[in-house]
Amino acid sequence: MVGKLLIYVAFVASLISIIGFFLAHMGKENFLKIGRLFFHITVIGVLTAALYLMYNVLTHQFQFSYVWEQSSTDLQLPLLVSTFWAGQEGSFMLWGLFTAIIGIFLMNYVSKGERMEAQVMAMFTLVLSFITLILILKSPFHYLWETFPKDVEFGYQPVEGRGLNPLLQNFWMAIHPPTLFLGFASLTVPFAFAMGALLKNDFDSWASFSVPWILFSGGILGLGIMMGGYWAYSILGWGGYWAWDPVENSSLIPWIINVASLHTIIAQRKTGGYKKTNLLLSILAFLLVLYSTFLTRSGILGDSSVHSFTDPGAEVYAALLAFIITFSVISIGMILFRFKNLKDIRTESSQLMTKESLLFIGALLLCASALVIFVGTSLPIFSKAKVDMTFYNNMNLPIAIGLMLTMGLSLYIDWKQTDYKKFVNNLILPGILSFVTLIVLIIIGLQNPIYILFAFVSLIAFFINARIAVRILKSGKMNVGGMFAHIGIALFFLGVIGSAKYSQEVNLSLQEGKTQEAFGYKFTYVGANPFMDANNKRDTMYAFNINVEQDNKEMIMRPVMFFSKFSNGVMKSPDIAYFSYKDLYLSPMSLEEPSPYPSESLYSLKKGSKTKANELEVEFIDFDFGTMQKGGKEMASGNYTLGAILKVNDGVNTETLNLKTKFTEGTPSPTPFTMQNNKKYVFYFLNMSVKGEEAGGTTASVSIMDPSTVSSGSEKETLVVAASIKPFISVLWTGVLILFVGFILSIVRRRKEILFKQPAKNAEEVKKDSNPKNKGKKK
Amino acid sequence: MTGKIKIIIASVVVVVFIVVGFMSFMDNKIDYASFADAQKRLKTVEVKGVWQKDKETKYDAEKSTFTFYMKDEANTEMKVILDGAKPNNFDIATMIVAKGKVKDDVFYAKEILTKCPSKYEGKGEDVKKSSNL
Repeated sequence: MVGKLLIYVAFVASLISIIGFFLAHMGKENFLKIGRLFFHITVIGVLTAALYLMYNVLTHQFQFSYVWEQSSTDLQLPLLVSTFWAGQEGSFMLWGLFTAIIGIFLMNYVSKGERMEAQVMAMFTLVLSFITLILILKSPFHYLWETFPKDVEFGYQPVEGRGLNPLLQNFWMAIHPPTLFLGFASLTVPFAFAMGALLKNDFDSWASFSVPWILFSGGILGLGIMMGGYWAYSILGWGGYWAWDPVENSSLIPWIINVASLHTIIAQRKTGGYKKTNLLLSILAFLLVLYSTFLTRSGILGDSSVHSFTDPGAEVYAALLAFIITFSVISIGMILFRFKNLKDIRTESSQLMTKESLLFIGALLLCASALVIFVGTSLPIFSKAKVDMTFYNNMNLPIAIGLMLTMGLSLYIDWKQTDYKKFVNNLILPGILSFVTLIVLIIIGLQNPIYILFAFVSLIAFFINARIAVRILKSGKMNVGGMFAHIGIALFFLGVIGSAKYSQEVNLSLQEGKTQEAFGYKFTYVGANPFMDANNKRDTMYAFNINVEQDNKEMIMRPVMFFSKFSNGVMKSPDIAYFSYKDLYLSPMSLEEPSPYPSESLYSLKKGSKTKANELEVEFIDFDFGTMQKGGKEMASGNYTLGAILKVNDGVNTETLNLKTKFTEGTPSPTPFTMQNNKKYVFYFLNMSVKGEEAGGTTASVSIMDPSTVSSGSEKETLVVAASIKPFISVLWTGVLILFVGFILSIVRRRKEILFKQPAKNAEEVKKDSNPKNKGKKK
Repeated sequence: MTGKIKIIIASVVVVVFIVVGFMSFMDNKIDYASFADAQKRLKTVEVKGVWQKDKETKYDAEKSTFTFYMKDEANTEMKVILDGAKPNNFDIATMIVAKGKVKDDVFYAKEILTKCPSKYEGKGEDVKKSSNL
């Protein structure tokens, strides 16, 4: 009751707040207070609802369907907390919570100085009210007896919940989703600013005060995406960090657009250009967040993703669709409404080689990349098809090359007029360094011409940005955020080239105790040991110890497999040895128990023909289906008993044997049979196979063995692992970390703008900002 | 450089990008198909179906291939050989999506997705069971 009530209060308050802010926008200043007051009520409603949900989770209130479905008492605190957002209802709650918290800071920010408070807050609150509407439709506060009226009586409280999916039982589950949702929620702010600018018909001032928010979104969303990649790589054992999966793509697209808008909005602050572009990109980034939510939450992608989706029901589907349509219509409507004013804004300089033009080309390339990913990701909605990873890789490769080129060169180009002689001079040192590094990379194995080009432009971008960053740091300043971000991206791409293009993989079947070699390492499987995970008291896990030796150095690697009762299947987790320039990645595939039937004892017996088995002559007569219908329901279930009728002649007697075998889930557990008068051989019926006549017709697989000749116990279990070498993947992770540091540095640099009353003046900003060209002059 | 040349260069780049993009898109589009369709075409497709539990199902550790029989939605059955180990959740999957192509009446799969819709949703009848684990 309490939870639902709070959400209703928040929803209604948000509507009043929007009306208040809108009236204030229309010139009725008094209503600003109403807008503020009801916005506070909305925020308090959402915050207390979220707190209440957290309380329910922490105190195991399993009478709530959501808590029962996602949580259990055996989880340790970080994972217990994470069950708050493990399901759809909770993740909407989290989205609402972050939007509300950001709203507090935003209102504080816009109420200081001329920052379009009424317009911005009206838009922002509209987003919040849609989220509360979804929370009304998909509530985390349903009781079990409301969800399952047939099965559960009123007031029933289970003592245990279903628990968290073991796939999600991981440290990253505690931080990856919140980071991503914080990023998503924060993209509402640049959107609200852009819409506020359109409402107010003022396209200049917003550019300066939205920058810190755009930086925040870019940093947090980027961090969230990166964590997802690292999670997939290191724990889930997907082998890679990025699979161009719809869920991954749909969070990447808004981030790319956000980064593009960051660059053009900085250009607007410097030169006054790109006003239309900035409005468009800020709006687009938010609409793409809604699109992403729709793709991943509506169940529309059902079959085309490795992520599992649940169908949220028609109401939520409709609400999500309404969400995205409403905001698209409002956005397009506002742009059309201000079309006349927008048309009159001056067009950009026609000089190609100005920093402004290069920034624009960079932003354009980013948008092209976003478009490619958007088209590929959206295909399953419109047709019964999807696109292969190759499409994304091939299309983004030339874009990335172009990006690296502009990212390097643009820093030596001036805003207005460039001195070409100086420009060329500036390129000499980075050019030489890149060339030398490239030669080294070619010597150690870089071959493909297009990747050589990609590596070369990435190196140039790296050295130019590093050089400028060092210069700025030496002069005692800290405004190196942009350079750091660029260095990070360049390193990231170099890591991509190494780890994606030049990784090698082999499958190793490691029989216990037997050594095998691959990539210059000696692998020996030395047995498994069981262990318990603190968060999972239901399953026993097994670490498979593999001794890895190279140059007399030994280490033990321990990939993990276990049978999960929750998902009724085998869970696998890789182990990775991190070296400075490569990773050795061991992904467990399966454990093969030694077969009790030696291969020399196996016979594939064709119906109606005679086969020699040692001194025996064996004829396969037919299968014995008993009372079962051939190919019927019982057989399809995999649980049945089947017989194979054999006529056996040992040279003395002829006997008919009916070898019965019980199948469980399709797996045979054969019963041993012998002849009445000749106990030397034991018969096992293993499997049936029905093929076309050309392919062998109806056959039975039978083992006929002489137990005295089979040395039992000599066979040992075999562990199958996929071993791979991923070169330079550490460079990739270093790159993304430096990228994130770059965002942090930029935000810290602008902390004054965030904390203090007046927005920084444009002219002052230009002076403060690092102009690499000026630094060059000094030297 | 004049504005005109800039526009011409830009248009050429955009046109080339769109043409190349479209070609790459068509090349890499993977359709959902039935086994019968897959047999007619050489392209990689995705086939949805159900594992036939009564037929031979095995993992070959040496080649690291997983073999099983699958019946597609048009009730055509075919042998599927996956390049890799038995996929996660294979035993409980209500639906299997295999990506690959047909050669000599065998579907060679590069990748298999298993769909277990019930996995993430609790059912009413489970409520009381979960209390006595």
